[in-house]
Amino acid sequence: MDELFPTELKARLDQIGEADIVVGIPSYNNARTIGHVVRAVSVGLAKHFPSRRAVIVNSDGGSKDQTKDVVLKAESGADDLLLVSHPVQVSYRISTPYHGLPGKGSAFRTIFAVAKRLKAKACVVVDSDLRSITPGWIELLAQPVLEYEYDYIAPYYHRHKYDGTITNGIIYPMTRTLYGKSVRQPIGGEFGFSGRLAARYLEKDVWDTDVARFGIDIWMTVTAIAEGFRVGQAYLGAKIHDAKDPGSDLTSMFRQVVGSFFSLMESYDSVWKNASCCEAVPLFGFPFEVGVEPLTVNTDRMIHAAQQGVKDLREIYASFLSPSTMVDLTSYVHRNGQGFHIPDQLWVHMIYEAAAAYHHRVLDRDHLLQSLVPLYLGRTASFVLEVTESTAPQVEERIDQLCRVFESEKSYLAQHWDAAGKEKFHAQPS
Amino acid sequence: MRSLVDRMFIDPFHRLADQSAHIVPVLVIVLVTLIVGGFVAFVFRWLTYKLLQLARFDRLVQRTGFASMIERTGVFRSPSDLGARFVQAIVWVLVALFALNATDTPASVEMVRRFVDYIPNVIAAGLVLLLGVVVSRMVSRSALLAAVNAQWPAARLIAGGVRVLVMTLAVVIALEQLRVGSVALLVAFAIVFAGIVFAMALAFGLGARDMARQWLETKVRSSVAEEEVFRHL
Repeated sequence: MDELFPTELKARLDQIGEADIVVGIPSYNNARTIGHVVRAVSVGLAKHFPSRRAVIVNSDGGSKDQTKDVVLKAESGADDLLLVSHPVQVSYRISTPYHGLPGKGSAFRTIFAVAKRLKAKACVVVDSDLRSITPGWIELLAQPVLEYEYDYIAPYYHRHKYDGTITNGIIYPMTRTLYGKSVRQPIGGEFGFSGRLAARYLEKDVWDTDVARFGIDIWMTVTAIAEGFRVGQAYLGAKIHDAKDPGSDLTSMFRQVVGSFFSLMESYDSVWKNASCCEAVPLFGFPFEVGVEPLTVNTDRMIHAAQQGVKDLREIYASFLSPSTMVDLTSYVHRNGQGFHIPDQLWVHMIYEAAAAYHHRVLDRDHLLQSLVPLYLGRTASFVLEVTESTAPQVEERIDQLCRVFESEKSYLAQHWDAAGKEKFHAQPS
Repeated sequence: MRSLVDRMFIDPFHRLADQSAHIVPVLVIVLVTLIVGGFVAFVFRWLTYKLLQLARFDRLVQRTGFASMIERTGVFRSPSDLGARFVQAIVWVLVALFALNATDTPASVEMVRRFVDYIPNVIAAGLVLLLGVVVSRMVSRSALLAAVNAQWPAARLIAGGVRVLVMTLAVVIALEQLRVGSVALLVAFAIVFAGIVFAMALAFGLGARDMARQWLETKVRSSVAEEEVFRHL
């Protein structure tokens, strides 16, 4: 584990000794926004955990801007903000580069290692580009772990109906269907977890995979659920972040997240095959209505992407989609404008067949995942067109309806998944 | 008189008999080798076909798209048939070499030696071609997916071009291994490749000047020009 720490960090950790709470902030060129996040975290620690020893760790991917300076120099202004007279334990701040593949997962690995080294009881991670973070988030993510013996706290936000489309269209319904826990934001980005779960994460040999990148969020969530750790959710209000992730592009993000999920299905196939749906997950915090930023979506471009995908990638799709799914896909995808629609059942079949093809290695896994992007864009466009006039609760109901289709078709997945050998793969389950 | 008759008729017969005593056994050996070898080659073909059938080789090749290509030639019934006939041909070549070697003449021995020396080149060329097929397929599929995900209209054309380019490179290297006009081929390839790149650069820079400018602008401005600000995660 010590090989993860640069000499300077090792000395600093020795100096600190032990801590109750570690707050990790992964970053890469986030000088513009990380100051606000550090201030919110510092105030949150001082206000809600004044007697706890806390360390803020910025795990940085080699930022070329002033990220490190901003982290170390950000004034919390705690005296003015807290309005408390009791003594406050000063939190330590560390900004360190991480080792390994460049990506969020590698940054988290260093944070896990710091938490283990400092024997932290609770650990919280938050994104460095958040604009809506408040000091209360730290309380909501850490307190269930410190006070109620929870091991993993996932965030629960209000988001715009067009936001988080991989979450709404694939990851949330599948997590809920396969692992039986209704965690609404399984790849939210902000999490609280216990020291023992951090230690468990560190034991895994996944740091040369997509888990080291954007796959980390879903990997943490599924590992916690599948290995029986106590899971909860914290209501954080709205999630508003900087306009766009630096350096992130949809194809690689999609490949890393969905690829990690499919890979986890292999690791925990005995778990998901036996899990029943769906257990509500306790929610901490006080849910309240909150305004979200309006978003624009160019559905024409997405529809065009889907249509081009079906035209140009026909042979690739035919290698892993069943003939009936191919027929349905072709007939639905060529409708234009408002008539464009990808029904839930078709979408669910495509995702399940892709998961089984990933498992059976029907074609190169990277190619398989990349080929799903046009289909995903098509489905997103279909969803956007469908909910244009819907209110937030109606959209939530619509997502719930999609989840129910995922659940009702779980046996379809199991049949494809268990098809012995590739030649049986295309045999059509009834 | 007697000696004249001997010299004119008997001695040539003796010489012919002597030479025949040398040649006939060799011819018999060659003939037997070819007959037995032919039978062995046939057995190898049959065995290979059965083994490939058992290993479901045809289904495997079907996925690569080569099966239809093989069937379209009209020469081979299936990929397994092609594989079996290939093995038969190799056995035939070995048998022929063995038979040639049995004649034990300086010319045949030299021919066999040269052929044996050439075998590593043939194997290397075969491997290069095989690698070329696999790599060109992988690279062209990667190019196709990248182009489709970038929503380039000519995605298939790009992928096809990439495939042809990689295969051409593999063929040039294979022919170089076989020592077939290597320099001429290399020069021809370099000229054609440079020509294609130059033509594409001209077409993009002059023919599609506005598009080139727009493309560079979007690259330089990166995320600022993004139309969608929603997050997928």
